[in-house]
Amino acid sequence: MTTGRPPQIVAFGGGGFSMEAGNPLLDDYVLALAARERPRVCFVPTASGDADHYVVRFYRTFSTRCDTSHVSLFRRDRGDGAVEGDLEAHLLAQDVIYVGGGSVVSLLGAWRAHGLDRVLRAAWRRGVILCGLSAGSLCWFQEAVTAFHGAPTVVRGLGLLPHSNCVHYDGEPERREEYRRFVGDGVTPGYAADDGAALHFVGRELRRVVSSRPRARAFRVEPRDGEVVEQPLAVSYLGDPRLDLAVA
Amino acid sequence: MTIRDRLRGDPQILAMGGGGFTMEPDNPALDDYVLSLVKVPEPRILFLPTASGDPTAQITGFYARFARRASASHLSLFRRHGSARSLADIVLEQDAIYVGGGSMRNLLAIWRAHELDALLQEAWRRGIVLAGLSAGAMCWFAGGVTRSGGPLETIEGLGLLPGSFSVHADGEPERLPVWLAAVRGGELPGGWAADDGVGLLFRGTRMVRVVSSRPGTAALRVDAVGDELVRHRIEPELLGTAPTLGERPVPDEIRELRELRQAMRRG
Repeated sequence: MTTGRPPQIVAFGGGGFSMEAGNPLLDDYVLALAARERPRVCFVPTASGDADHYVVRFYRTFSTRCDTSHVSLFRRDRGDGAVEGDLEAHLLAQDVIYVGGGSVVSLLGAWRAHGLDRVLRAAWRRGVILCGLSAGSLCWFQEAVTAFHGAPTVVRGLGLLPHSNCVHYDGEPERREEYRRFVGDGVTPGYAADDGAALHFVGRELRRVVSSRPRARAFRVEPRDGEVVEQPLAVSYLGDPRLDLAVA
Repeated sequence: MTIRDRLRGDPQILAMGGGGFTMEPDNPALDDYVLSLVKVPEPRILFLPTASGDPTAQITGFYARFARRASASHLSLFRRHGSARSLADIVLEQDAIYVGGGSMRNLLAIWRAHELDALLQEAWRRGIVLAGLSAGAMCWFAGGVTRSGGPLETIEGLGLLPGSFSVHADGEPERLPVWLAAVRGGELPGGWAADDGVGLLFRGTRMVRVVSSRPGTAALRVDAVGDELVRHRIEPELLGTAPTLGERPVPDEIRELRELRQAMRRG
């Protein structure tokens, strides 16, 4: 079975239902990519430790217009409505897999222990749209900057996208400095995104940057002539009534 | 080496089959026993709720039990702890580390991802008391039986303690046969099973004492000899339920000192 879609990832610097209550622009953008009346959307809240309130907010946001489910790696024995049995078959049958925020280090550790890293790679190849914010953005990249516990550090992600990633770029000034320093020191060049900005990759290439906020920015960060350059990217604000994504 | 380090004794682990504040909110016997193993005045105790994904209910339960008894804090690996301090600084300044139950597979994988497994081994070596129940008890052994993936299955632990450990022997009776079969088949080394409320105290790698917060409970030692299982029932010492240290009101100046210390450490 294939979806007929190319591999796609929408990586939010921050935003979506858990950070932008009342602003559905980024989530709507992802659902539209599924091109289906009732997309199958599975939430993976591992990075938050499967926090109950987070799972509830996911269902509140999506259950009226999508076929919703969630994966719990902490409460597999409790029968609380989470996917049981064959996780792989379930995930491969989705239109969208939505990964929540939290600690990317804990996320990757738990995924690897359950073989979910392999399953998500297979889902991506098959055309299941992968999206997420914060840790749920960082995880798809080769390398990622996390400042979750203490000072910013670089962690290895799943490597579906051969770039580095830095999220909440507008949130904390030291992140910006550290990210540029890391790239200068040999970390894979990559992309930084503000809260409200989302990087949409088709295959391994960046197709476009969209945003739920008029002033959210995104950057390509790479070394050039011995310096680290922060190249601003064109961002399409999804709330702009004149926006026509077909030609964006 | 600090004075605190010098006051610490041999490595100690209290492995509970179940019990403590998450399972016995009205019975502080096992948790008081954990604190009694600490010989340092004004003990510092750190809670690791990793195996359940840092749920709020466990964390508030921990403080309800320990906040008046000790200088209590918790370490979240899922939510920001709002401090730039390294995990090593946080872990190695403790006198006791208390690990909650949940998914053992997640617990170990996440500890390893944060390199906390090596830090906990170092803490143990330095004489910081390690305690825990369920997944938080089995993790210290060579292995145990978990339902982290749904069905019951064997799982390897950190191996600080030799042998295997099976928990909730009375509360979840379906565990015991899986563990016994694994020991008989050589998949797990021989070891101990414990009822809810039962704690096994190890000094170094030697089991020295079995205590319980509930009458009528037991621990079981099981070894495979040839194709046979040799079982040996151990009667625990029933812990007193008389008012303990923590029940006494804390003088104001001590409370203030604790708060100051906590504030300084949060720095």
